[in-house]
Amino acid sequence: MERSSSLEKAIRGILITAVLLFFLFPIFWIFLMSFQTNEDILRIPPSLFFEPTLQNYSALLTGKLETAAGSLDIAFMRNLGNSLLLSTFSVLLSLALGVPAAYAFARFKFRLGENIAFTLLSFRFAPPLLVLLPLSLFFKQLGLTDTYIGLIWVYQLICLPLILWIVRGYFEDISPDIENAYRIAGHSWWRTFRRIAIPLARPGIAAAGLLAFIFAWNNFIFALILASASKQPVTVGALAFVTASGIQYGQIAAAIVLSVTPTLLLALYAQRYLVEGLSLGAVKG
Amino acid sequence: MSSLELSNISKGFKSGMVLEDVSLSVKAGEIVVVFGPSGTGKTVLLRIVAGVQEPDAGGITIDGVDMTDASPEARNVGMAFQNFALFPHFSTHDNIASPLTARNVPEGRLKEQVSAIARMLKIDHVLGHAPRELSNGQKQRTALARALIGQPKVLLLDDPLRNVDAKLRYEMRLELPRLLRTFNSAVIYVTQDYKEAMALGDHIAVLRNGRIEQWDTPTNVYRAPVSLDVARLFGDPTINLAPCRLETVGQGSQIHAFGRVSPVSEAYAEATGRDLVAGLRPEHVIVTETNTPGSVEFDLDAVMPVNVRSVLYLRGPAGEEVLATVGESEAARFGRGHRKVWVSFAPDDILLFDAASGQRLAPRVN
Amino acid sequence: MGRRPDSHGSPPFFPSFQPNAMTFLDLVRTHMTVAAHPNRPRRLTMRRFLPYLLSLPALLVCIGILIPFFTAVYYSTLRFRLNLPMMKGFIWVDNYISFLTDAAFWNTVQVSLVYALVTVTGELLLGLGIALLLVRPTKINNAASIMLLLPLMTAPALAALMWKLMTNPNFGILSYLVSQLGFDNFNWASDPSSALFTVVLVDVWVYTPFIMILLLAGLRSLPKQPFEAAALDGVPRSFVFFRITLPMLMPYIITASLFRLLDSMQQFDIVYSMTQGGPGDTLMVFQVQAYLEFFQYTNVGRSAALLIVLWAITYALSNIFIKHWLKLRERAHGPA
Repeated sequence: MERSSSLEKAIRGILITAVLLFFLFPIFWIFLMSFQTNEDILRIPPSLFFEPTLQNYSALLTGKLETAAGSLDIAFMRNLGNSLLLSTFSVLLSLALGVPAAYAFARFKFRLGENIAFTLLSFRFAPPLLVLLPLSLFFKQLGLTDTYIGLIWVYQLICLPLILWIVRGYFEDISPDIENAYRIAGHSWWRTFRRIAIPLARPGIAAAGLLAFIFAWNNFIFALILASASKQPVTVGALAFVTASGIQYGQIAAAIVLSVTPTLLLALYAQRYLVEGLSLGAVKG
Repeated sequence: MSSLELSNISKGFKSGMVLEDVSLSVKAGEIVVVFGPSGTGKTVLLRIVAGVQEPDAGGITIDGVDMTDASPEARNVGMAFQNFALFPHFSTHDNIASPLTARNVPEGRLKEQVSAIARMLKIDHVLGHAPRELSNGQKQRTALARALIGQPKVLLLDDPLRNVDAKLRYEMRLELPRLLRTFNSAVIYVTQDYKEAMALGDHIAVLRNGRIEQWDTPTNVYRAPVSLDVARLFGDPTINLAPCRLETVGQGSQIHAFGRVSPVSEAYAEATGRDLVAGLRPEHVIVTETNTPGSVEFDLDAVMPVNVRSVLYLRGPAGEEVLATVGESEAARFGRGHRKVWVSFAPDDILLFDAASGQRLAPRVN
Repeated sequence: MGRRPDSHGSPPFFPSFQPNAMTFLDLVRTHMTVAAHPNRPRRLTMRRFLPYLLSLPALLVCIGILIPFFTAVYYSTLRFRLNLPMMKGFIWVDNYISFLTDAAFWNTVQVSLVYALVTVTGELLLGLGIALLLVRPTKINNAASIMLLLPLMTAPALAALMWKLMTNPNFGILSYLVSQLGFDNFNWASDPSSALFTVVLVDVWVYTPFIMILLLAGLRSLPKQPFEAAALDGVPRSFVFFRITLPMLMPYIITASLFRLLDSMQQFDIVYSMTQGGPGDTLMVFQVQAYLEFFQYTNVGRSAALLIVLWAITYALSNIFIKHWLKLRERAHGPA
């Protein structure tokens, strides 16, 4: 190992601090803002010292924003609920569709399987609007516009490639002989799939599920086009909220904090698998 | 009636044919060793019998029932894999019990049977362990117990001693035949170790390039190999080979090989004039310090002890290289070599092969 | 590696671009004729259909993507305005031809390319630097690399709002800091001269950790021997970096950059949340332009044509990307 002088150590320390400052400061600052009154926020120069208040959060939770101009309804908690509902059910559906398919692609070499897997992969890199704009017209005809089912269906575009490619890698890593041994012992294919393949791929399935949840939660463009206010997730809702509330910066900050916290916590929880998930299963962490 | 009957099994992959027209029958209680160098389709054959791969052609019957299209779980087959293939998330106990859970054997009986077989295989003290906590020997025994516990009609053992250490391999070679007989299954045992094949098999099927080249008892495979290839595969050190020609002299025939002229039975007369290869097992080479009738002077180049025997490297008058094996006490007389010795052999010990086809010459029976 | 050129080396399945595209039934049929052996007519066992059965739902999703995709291709050849339905008509490639003389289109191309190149270059340099900084797996470095993932896990649309709050001219902390440095009229995203910079900054904030974490995983997976040998021979560090580290890291660098380039070409969330393509048309990237074309000007044909142009660019790139990605994947899992 190379020896490092104390000067080098100091430089490294300074650089790491600077990097952390740049990448973490915005989150930290918005977090602080969410506990400030508008007066505190507007004070010049900005200060780290203020009387923390929970009024921003209570306004969001109660859904009533008291302003000088009167009382304003905020649908933000509904957005939060929508995000939770859309992400959860999208991931569940995606797991139900994707895990068996991932297994088929890993175990049976068949052309159709490769074609599906690669089509989904390449649409991961196609412009989402290309699919979304025609869909928005179809959805009108099918009556799926502004329905949870329509949105969950479209969210498969985000979740399915991710789950397919990560879980496929995990299935490929299981020796087929382990499954063969269970079959030969007298168990049906379905039982072998449930008792051997699924449990052995469980870490991959869990990781893919968590990541798919994060990406579904963070998605913006799908709901922007296909959902009206009542079905919008936080990403779209927050933007609408900014437009509607105008100058209620404290509440905006609190809304952002509430919106990003779930994914950040999940990310910290699942960080061991993030590398693998972010590279769609190409790099192991 | 045979318990397992394979008829004309063929299987090809993109890279070419792996099995061609393989037929085999195994009786209940019989051990058939499928022997062959690696890459000759032995494992594929087992997989086809187990039902995890499908043959392109041919059929499989087990106890008279056509199983060619049956799924693996319906075949009543036990299999021990070369890489053990234990279920990593099950305990040793649950691994062994898996064929019983498939049949819904009640809890109590299941426990009894598992501990009985675990005791038999001396792994009863590790029943609670996970596979990753076991030694290779214990893993191998667990895999074996799992294959045996269902008392399958057919038992498939894929080179089960390959991945265990030498001492255990030796023990198991002694222990296995007795163990397997108690279960009365039709056993196919795959190996690429000829000693294992000879020690365990009631019959040996020598598989080469996807075909069964010879099907016989171990003694016959060794004594009367059908071809040069089979002769080379059995025996360590390998058989001495020398090109030769059959000449007719007066009434009889003779060949010139290994430094001397040997008379050959009349039964081979029709091969006169063809290019042949003479084979002589090293243990059939008689090496003496003094001249005896019919012996030829050779240079002894080196002596290499191998276990209780020694291998002698001999060089003949015309530069022929011949290997001989002798017992330890006998070898002591030759010191470290570099001396003259006298070499002879019984003409009957010579095996004659056709050089072009590699087949052993069949004596013409009158 | 590269032992199975037939399946993985081939470009992803796009019926329009694959002359020998097969239908589902064709596939089943050929599969069956290949399997059937003259000696043994095969029964249609469950096992033969299992893979198809298992992938059927995923196939449906696939079709659910391909249908709107082809519809979009079709729309791009129409005169199709939502507000003027009677004008709808087939006009071949006129939408595309009109782009050639359309300054707005070329502005979009230019903005998108500049945006993509600047963000990816910046993120690559910064990400590589940080990865090298954190390469030793000490506790502090590991904790730092985990913390750095937080921006990446923030929804880009929300990240844009966060930066919008911080660059607000009235109270934004960044506006304040910049004015303290003497730049009084630095208006961040609302000024055409600094809008690109601001949005790129947010993109860099969100996505640098992506490149950083892939390169960090790559760096840590490199074999140790070349570095130990170089250290023993006293080879200078710059030489080690350019002749050993960089070449060995190249597969990761290429994959990560192409991945980012593909996403960056199509950036929407950050630009839309921050400026909606403005001020003026300073940040009119492809997808924002197409979005506005569709919803503001209700010009479906033109919007679809714009997206097809973008798709053509990204499709070419994604083929290159997938090749590199598969190589990395084989390294991690063995040939699929």
